[in-house]
Order: sequence, then structure tokens, then C-alpha cells
Amino acid sequence: MDTAIEKAPGVGKARKRAMSDTWYAVLLITPASIIIIFFALFPLLYAIMLSFRHVDLTSAVGIGPYVGLDNYRFALNDRIFWESTRRTLTFAVCAVSIEMVFGVAIAFLLNGLRWFKGIVRSLLILPIASAPAAVGLVWRYMYHPDFGVYNGILAALGLPEQNWLGDVRLAMPSVIIFDIWQWTPFVALIVLAGLQSLPREPFEAAELDGASTWRVLRRLTLPMLAPVLTLVFVLRTIDAIRLYDVILSLSHGGPGTATETLTYYLYRISLKYFRLDIGSAIALLFLYATVVFTAVALRSMMRVQAERARRA
Amino acid sequence: MQARRFTTADLVRYALVVALLIFFLFPIFWMVATSFKPPNDILTRPVKWTFEPTLTNYIYAFDEANFGLFIKNTLTVSLISTVLVIVLACLAAYSFARYNTGAGHLMFFILTTRMMPGIAVIIPFFVIFKAIGETAIGQALWLGLDRPGALVVCYTVFNLPFAIWLMHSFFQDIPRELEDSARLDGYSRLQVLWRVVLPLAVPGIAVTAIFTLIFSWNEFLFAFLLTRDVARTITVGVAGFWTQRGIMWGPLSAAATVCVVPMLVFALILQRYIVRGLTFGAVRG
Repeated sequence: MDTAIEKAPGVGKARKRAMSDTWYAVLLITPASIIIIFFALFPLLYAIMLSFRHVDLTSAVGIGPYVGLDNYRFALNDRIFWESTRRTLTFAVCAVSIEMVFGVAIAFLLNGLRWFKGIVRSLLILPIASAPAAVGLVWRYMYHPDFGVYNGILAALGLPEQNWLGDVRLAMPSVIIFDIWQWTPFVALIVLAGLQSLPREPFEAAELDGASTWRVLRRLTLPMLAPVLTLVFVLRTIDAIRLYDVILSLSHGGPGTATETLTYYLYRISLKYFRLDIGSAIALLFLYATVVFTAVALRSMMRVQAERARRA
Repeated sequence: MQARRFTTADLVRYALVVALLIFFLFPIFWMVATSFKPPNDILTRPVKWTFEPTLTNYIYAFDEANFGLFIKNTLTVSLISTVLVIVLACLAAYSFARYNTGAGHLMFFILTTRMMPGIAVIIPFFVIFKAIGETAIGQALWLGLDRPGALVVCYTVFNLPFAIWLMHSFFQDIPRELEDSARLDGYSRLQVLWRVVLPLAVPGIAVTAIFTLIFSWNEFLFAFLLTRDVARTITVGVAGFWTQRGIMWGPLSAAATVCVVPMLVFALILQRYIVRGLTFGAVRG
């Protein structure tokens, strides 16, 4: 960049300028980069180290000798590990797909409103902004089999009451309903913003051609929305597989292990049983899987950014 | 705009909207309502819809459960980390936006660190802060376990990538010509940043700051695992009403209301920018 120009002609002039633009730019990002790299790399290296040793903080062993791949072998042969992975995926797939469908539908609904659009939009923000750990507990109260308001409403309507979080088959759907409550507005608001920023001309042209609503939707609206939809999908999926606060406040992973996701299992094994070695091995497997997924998926985010930069 | 009459289609639309709003707002309403219920009306069958409002639950939360301290802790930690995040993020994001430092790769790496599951790195963080807390420097800087400094560090690290991305999108909106002409007028690069760019980026800084504040305030995992009594934060305090002997629903609702409502107000202030913030600046609202 500017460096080349500065170095070439007047050496004296280059001296007068304290540093080149490149150095200036690097200097600006240095403090943030040091912090991020230190706190991303150091914990990672430490976890890798732990995962190859025998560590048991509840016994005299403490941080013990190196044991090779034993911890990984244990994790991969661990039934609970695979079960919690399966539950995490089930949760993510169900919650995210329902949120996407509802969210897109709500976005279209709001886009067609003539009055109160702004107010409805702002009210939908509220679930997103509430602390999951706190509202999760409130939901536990609302799900209460005897005194909960949801069963109260069902009883008043003459419908059978449910043991929401106590029933093995119903517990996971109950957690999913909570997630839908909190995150559908997220999908709806972003898709609505996407809808509102679509250019007018193609739609006017389609109307002149007499294209049917369905055709316009399939051939114009959805393809033009695709980058935004991908972005929302990626962000939601990443959050869904990391779900933790809500499990802790809603169900503690129960009943039994019916709602124990991978993150909760990780918490249990490393911070309740203090088996940091196996915990680290599982954490690294989990980290590796998410990083691969995010690295692939986040490219879509870069694409949205790049497209905007080009249009601007 | 032509004024049309209220059609049947509109009727269906607004009926749906009302149903949606009930679904999405009812839990918040129920939380606030429960917080004002007398203790005897909380565990009743059938559920009580009308009651004599009382402050008993709030008094319990603040007097017996020491909730004032948790609020103070949360505010201290959130505000300090927000200031740190903003300073660091502004410098880095400006560098990325103006000089394209790292050609996108560095920014991408920074974003992936934000996507790291907190639970996967919590053990090293626990060990680091345990070790630092036992040194003299760590004690002076309040950096050990159950110390607010540890949370300040965590929240700064975890909010920084988000803040850099969001600020980057705001800096991109500032026309480069303004900076170039200020340079021609004899401003140094730092003066351009300080006198021209930052004043124009004030709305972006405000938005990023409020988002960071909300994230820090609502954070649970790190606060739960790195604090016990002294540095306990508000979300952990709410969970504290789930005791060995059962859950104290009344004080819990009061505490949850105190925890959630201020952030709802902030979110409403942000509403014009909420989509932009939630997508890390990728989609403009």
C-alpha cells in the first residue's frame, strides 16, 4: 500500500512521517489481538495438555501423569457422551427448524401490516433481551405440574394437564418450546429487516407481467432473501448447540438425563466430578466439531458483508 | 399512501398478531405479576389471577438474599468491561475498516473465537484465575476466583469479537472522503481518528456499548462457575433461589424481574439497531 510510495522518492519526507500506514494499522489492532489471541490460545493449549494426562481433583492424584489418548478413547466409548450428543443435535435441529419456519412466517405477516408495525416489532424484541438463566427459572415455575400457569390454562379449557418437565418424553419438547419462545423473534426481526431492504423494481416488473404471488415468492423473494436466511440459520445453529444456561435453569438435565445436552454433560463431568482430563477431551472434541461447522458456515456471513460493501 | 378500509384479511392478520404477542409477552407479564403476589397466592391450585399486590418478595430478595450486592457487582463488572471493550474494539475495528488489515482473515479468526462454546474453555479459565488469584498482582487487581476482576476479563474477551464486527460496520458507513480531506487540512492520522471519525461514530459506539452491557449483564455460565459469594452476579443470584429445600418462587420472580426489566428497557432504546447488532453488523435494520 502506501509503504512503497513512501520509501521510494524523498527519503527525508518518509523520515518525517513517524510510521507507515501499515504499521499504524497494525498498531491499532494490536491491543485487541493480544487479548483475543492470549485468551483463545492459552486456554486451548492448556485444555490440550489436560486431555493427555490423568487428572482427578477429587483424589490425591491431582494433575497426574501423561496417559496418551486414553481420555479420548474413554470419551469415544462413553455411552453418555454419544447420547448427549444425539440430544444436542435433536434439540438443535428441532428448535432451529421450527424457529426458522415460524420466524419467516411472522416476518411476512409483519411486513404486510398497515398499522402498529413499529410497536409490534419492538415488543418482539423483549424475549431476546431477557436473561435466559432468569426467565428459564420463571418458565420452570410456569411449567410446574400443580401450580404452573400453563396447566392452569389447560385445566380452565378442559384439556388434560401435562407434567411438562417431569415427563421423560415431554421434557425435551418443553425445553424446545422455551427456545422457540426466546429465539423465534430473532429470526422474525432479521428476516423482516431483510424483506424491507429488498429493492422495489423487480417486484414492480413482476406485477406488470402478472406473475402469481406464489411465483413471485419462489422466484424473487426467497432467492433474494437467501443470504439473510443462511446467516440467521448459522447464527441460530451455533447458539443452539452451545445451549447451557437454559438447561441449568429449566431442568438440570433431568428428569434422569432426558434433557442432558453435551454442554451440560461437560459441566457435570468436569465441574461436579472434577474429571478435568475426560472433560477436556470431550470439550476439545466438541470445540473441534463446532469450529469446523462455524468456519464453513460463517463464510456466509462474510458473503453478506462483502455484498453490502459492494452495493455501498 | 391511499387509505383503504379495514378488510377481512386485515382482521385475520391482526388476530394472528394479537395471538403472537400473547405468546411472546405472557411469560414476562407472568414473571412481573408473580413478583407482586403475596406468598400465599403463589402456590395455589387453581392458579390465582387476581391478588392484592405486595412488595414482600422484593423485600425478601434485597434484605435476606443480599440482592443489592449482586446488582452492584453486576453493574461494576458490566460497566468496566464495556468501557474496555469499546476502547479496544474502536481501535481494531477502525484499522480493519480503513486499512483492511489482515485482508479479512484476521477478522474471520476473531469471529470464530466468539463462536467458541464457553463451556469448552471454562476449565482453563478456572485454573488460570485460581493461579493468578494466589499471586500478589492478582490480588491487587481483583483477578482471582470469586473476584470481579476475573469476570471483567472474561466479558471483555468474549464481547470483543462481537464489538469489533459491529463497530466495523459503523466505520464502513463513514465516507472515506471526509478523512482524506481532513488529512489534506493537515490533521495527523490520530487527529483524524479522534476529531473526525470517532465523533461521527458516536451512535455506533452507543449501540455497541449497550449491546455489550446487555450481554455482560445477562451472562450466566462464567459468573456461575467463577464466583461464589463476594463477586456473585445478578443472574447467578436469581438461580440462588433454587435451594436444597426447594425453589422460593416469590423472591425468585422478584429477583428475575429486577434482572430482566432494565435490559428490556435498554433493548427498546436500541430497537432501531437491534437487527444490526444481532447479526454482528451484517444486516442493516
